[in-house]
Amino acid sequence: MELRPLAGGLTVVTGENGSGKTSLLEAIAYAGSLRSMRDSPRESLVRIGAERAVVRLEAADGARRTLLEIELAPRGRDRVLRNRQRVGRVQELVETLRTTVFSPDDLEIVKGGPERRRALLDDVVVAARPGLASTRQVVERVLRQRNTLLKSAGGRLSAEVAATLDVWDAQLAGAGTQLTEAREALLEEMGPAASAAFSQLAGTEAGLELSYRRSYEGDLGSALATGRTSDLRREATTVGPHRDELLISSAGLDARTRLSQGRQRCVTLALRLAAHEVVARYAGTTPVLLLDDAFSELDERTARALLEELPPGQAILTTAGGLPPGAKASGVVHLEGGRIVR
Amino acid sequence: MTKEDANRLARAIVEVKERTTICRTCFNVGVGERCAICADERRDPTVVCVVEDPRDIVAIERTREFRGRYHVLGGALSPIEGVGPDQLRIKELLRRIEPERVKEVILCTNPNLEGETTAMYLAKQLAPLGLRVTRIASGLPVGGDLEYADELTLGRALEGRREVQP
Ligand SMILES: [Zn+2]
Repeated sequence: MELRPLAGGLTVVTGENGSGKTSLLEAIAYAGSLRSMRDSPRESLVRIGAERAVVRLEAADGARRTLLEIELAPRGRDRVLRNRQRVGRVQELVETLRTTVFSPDDLEIVKGGPERRRALLDDVVVAARPGLASTRQVVERVLRQRNTLLKSAGGRLSAEVAATLDVWDAQLAGAGTQLTEAREALLEEMGPAASAAFSQLAGTEAGLELSYRRSYEGDLGSALATGRTSDLRREATTVGPHRDELLISSAGLDARTRLSQGRQRCVTLALRLAAHEVVARYAGTTPVLLLDDAFSELDERTARALLEELPPGQAILTTAGGLPPGAKASGVVHLEGGRIVR
Repeated sequence: MTKEDANRLARAIVEVKERTTICRTCFNVGVGERCAICADERRDPTVVCVVEDPRDIVAIERTREFRGRYHVLGGALSPIEGVGPDQLRIKELLRRIEPERVKEVILCTNPNLEGETTAMYLAKQLAPLGLRVTRIASGLPVGGDLEYADELTLGRALEGRREVQP
């Protein structure tokens, strides 16, 4: 299908559930990150029975036009072209197209396990500082390598296992420290924006407190060395950026356990808005807003408040129902069965 | 192509396949016990370039920048794929150093996470032997994420190699 969203305005995509609205947003987000915005496994991004999925889009930044073409197969690597040239790094895609996604699933950022909150932070890190895209990938890959090595060691620290762990640990310490420091610095910048947005959205005096808790003290290299025996026993890496926590509270109440669901929604919206603001500041360009059925679960007051808080720029909103109250669409597209019908 | 030509071609392919062997010294592919590079007396035996795969040798030879010998590891460290030091020809490399009077080992593994980690591992193993250990300059960051490493401009990378600190 081909979509021509309107620059600088709100394009509304309507259609029933299963008509392909979310896939459309997923395709746009994927083109700028090579990651699924919903964390879907790679196989599920390609239609069942199809050999590959193809995303082609043109990004405009002022007068500069950039054509991105991505071919993804259920298995193996993506084939990525930027202006018909092969691209070697995710960084180049991020620099071309940044997105901020709002989705009803976002509630899990607050209610779910810590991995969702770390993923949000890492998305901000990569969008704000695209040079760190490979750092994030290295951290994820080293962890898989190291954990597999720990499992295959069967609890025994032979000389060979020790020598091999040494080099994987060195890689993890390097990339892991870089990622952690970037997360902390960006979270610091998100704090005031998130707090202000939360007050507005929830209509309360209370703000939001964001803090980062590392899973280790001192430097990561030493922490890995100290934890080696217990890592071998547990067959898992027990310290590192993958075990750190992003803690969120409002007026001293833990957002995950002590806030109402309505307030929790306001927390996720505030986090997204703050992320958007920080990324825009770093990038010098406004990310495209992808609003995946973003208003469906909001009460009218919160929906109005969100509309007021949404920054100007290009936005694409999907909805199975009508428009949120007060929204002004500059274009409407209707989908049926994966096709644009009008 | 006539049928006769096709038969001749098929026989030639079978013959090459039957005669292709792995070099006992460097594990490159060749014909006979030693590959053409190890058998070439004009090549400098004191400089050994360590690669993951025989195809890397082809790429480096094409640059005509290198006049030493090679050592093929047969992959890179990757526990996910069940590859540890024992699955690579690392002991065989260490055994070559003294008898061949190797003065420099160039670590030419791929510029991705596994290749970098393997280079780091080799540097540590080679450190006690008191020789020069260098690493090719890589055009990609560690974990060059989409890994088009084979398109790396190897000639320039060899020239810009740097000493590795184990
Ligand atoms: Zn040989």
